[in-house]
Amino acid sequence: MRIGQRRALTASQQFINLKANALTAGGNGEPRAGAFVWRFEATPSPLSRVYVLRIEYRQGDTPDVYVERPNLKLLAEGRRLPHVYQQDPARLCLYLPRTYEWQPWMRIDNTIVPWAILWLFYFEEWLSSDEWKGGGEHPLESDLPGRRRKRMRFHDQAGAT
Amino acid sequence: MYADQRTIMRNAQLVGVLERLCQGLELNDSQFELAKARYDAVGRWLAGAEEKLIRTVLIYPQGSTAIGTTVKPIGRIEHDVDLVSHVVEPDQLISPAALKSAIGNRLRSNGQYAPILEEMGRCWRINYAGEFHLDITPSIPNPGCPKGGVLVPDKTLKAWTPSNPKGYKTLFLERAKIMPQMRLSKSMGAMDSARSLVEPYPEQVGFKGILPRTVQLSKRHRDIYFQELDPSLAPISIIITTLASRAYEFCARNNVYDSELDLLCDVVRYMPRFMEVDNSSGRYQWFIWNETTELENFAEKWNADPRRANAFYVWHAKLLADLESLTHIEGLDLLTKRLGSAFGSAPATRALDSLVEPVSAARRTGRLTAAPVVGLSTGALASSTAVRANTFHGSDSS
Repeated sequence: MRIGQRRALTASQQFINLKANALTAGGNGEPRAGAFVWRFEATPSPLSRVYVLRIEYRQGDTPDVYVERPNLKLLAEGRRLPHVYQQDPARLCLYLPRTYEWQPWMRIDNTIVPWAILWLFYFEEWLSSDEWKGGGEHPLESDLPGRRRKRMRFHDQAGAT
Repeated sequence: MYADQRTIMRNAQLVGVLERLCQGLELNDSQFELAKARYDAVGRWLAGAEEKLIRTVLIYPQGSTAIGTTVKPIGRIEHDVDLVSHVVEPDQLISPAALKSAIGNRLRSNGQYAPILEEMGRCWRINYAGEFHLDITPSIPNPGCPKGGVLVPDKTLKAWTPSNPKGYKTLFLERAKIMPQMRLSKSMGAMDSARSLVEPYPEQVGFKGILPRTVQLSKRHRDIYFQELDPSLAPISIIITTLASRAYEFCARNNVYDSELDLLCDVVRYMPRFMEVDNSSGRYQWFIWNETTELENFAEKWNADPRRANAFYVWHAKLLADLESLTHIEGLDLLTKRLGSAFGSAPATRALDSLVEPVSAARRTGRLTAAPVVGLSTGALASSTAVRANTFHGSDSS
């Protein structure tokens, strides 16, 4: 089967996988028609904080990952958070939209979730070193779907004030 | 059980971080080899002297260099390498000043040493800028010491005073070898699954030895703590080393511990118990005896200036509190901060890098996994999920 031909997972399949994977099984969520919200605790290392994350997914769209607690903006003490679409509450930029790093046939619990944990790991390190050691790329306008572009611009403006 | 697992992993990782921190502070193997080559050369130079007195001198390391507890001094690059230049058979009862000056004359007659030779109160210093300095203290046998001790100059260079660097080293190393009693966790299941987690996590390291690491961490904490206060009141290294080694022997023989970190904290907690305090004369007197020779009280200066004793107690309480607090910290950033204030920010940052780099390396080679409760690790564990390749998006300067 070629990549382009794989069939997208449904929102309820993604939901069931999140419920079953040990990484996220302790969480809870609300399935809706073609969409869901899943909230769970995650920690990037035994010496790290325990964070509460929220994944919002609507079938056909890309998953959004928010850090609900603790407030990352407060932890950053005035610095702008790296690799986020939105500063507060932080919405994480976990992969390059223009590549095939994430596609709708991929399980969120096997991709987005470990990437979010990895993000948190580099985030804690960034808090002390001020240097993002997780690598990554700067966004291009063309990477962002219309909805995102608008939202990002909005938050950039909000952050600049 | 999850809580146990996380605690066990936390303690294991903290030990790893403290271990890396100490590795960054001590004389490393290649520096030690270089220092040894240099002091062996000094020994050969002394052996080539015409004077019989100097010809029989033996050079050997003493103090932290001898027992593996060196700590880089703050504010300069050079480590101290303390050496004894021991005259096995002094012809007559030579005075400390005469022996010291005879050794100095011989050293000065070497064109290499002359420009970097510096006279100190009781010893000669050969200063290898940017590396270390060799502090060479003269000694003669102490016929009155049944433990094979020696005599070294007192501070005024007017009289000989007992010491026993070799005996001290032997006793310290014997104590360091005592195997502590470790408790298998209350919940064996937690312990087993934690073990399987500990093993693959970024090159998990244990302490090289709990006793030497306790000494190094305590000495470094002292250096940082007294930097802003009056450094002349700081407890001298031999006091910290002696109290830690006696406390370690006691704790390792009598108590059972859940983790190396618990043991480390307990050794520090017990340190003050191994000094004698006497106030029968109406004023306090402190005694921290050199167990390897007669009549050497390491706390002698405290009795002349009780502020030193007080400074010890205040510092010791802070050291213990700082170590104990490490077990409660959540956040790599907070850990770095706390370690930085206790042991200096540069070594703390380097120690934390040693947690981050293996994760990045495992990520590059596709070996990184994520598990509940303990987070990222570098091996495939039950209930873990592989972390696939990704590219963090978004500007870090937007």
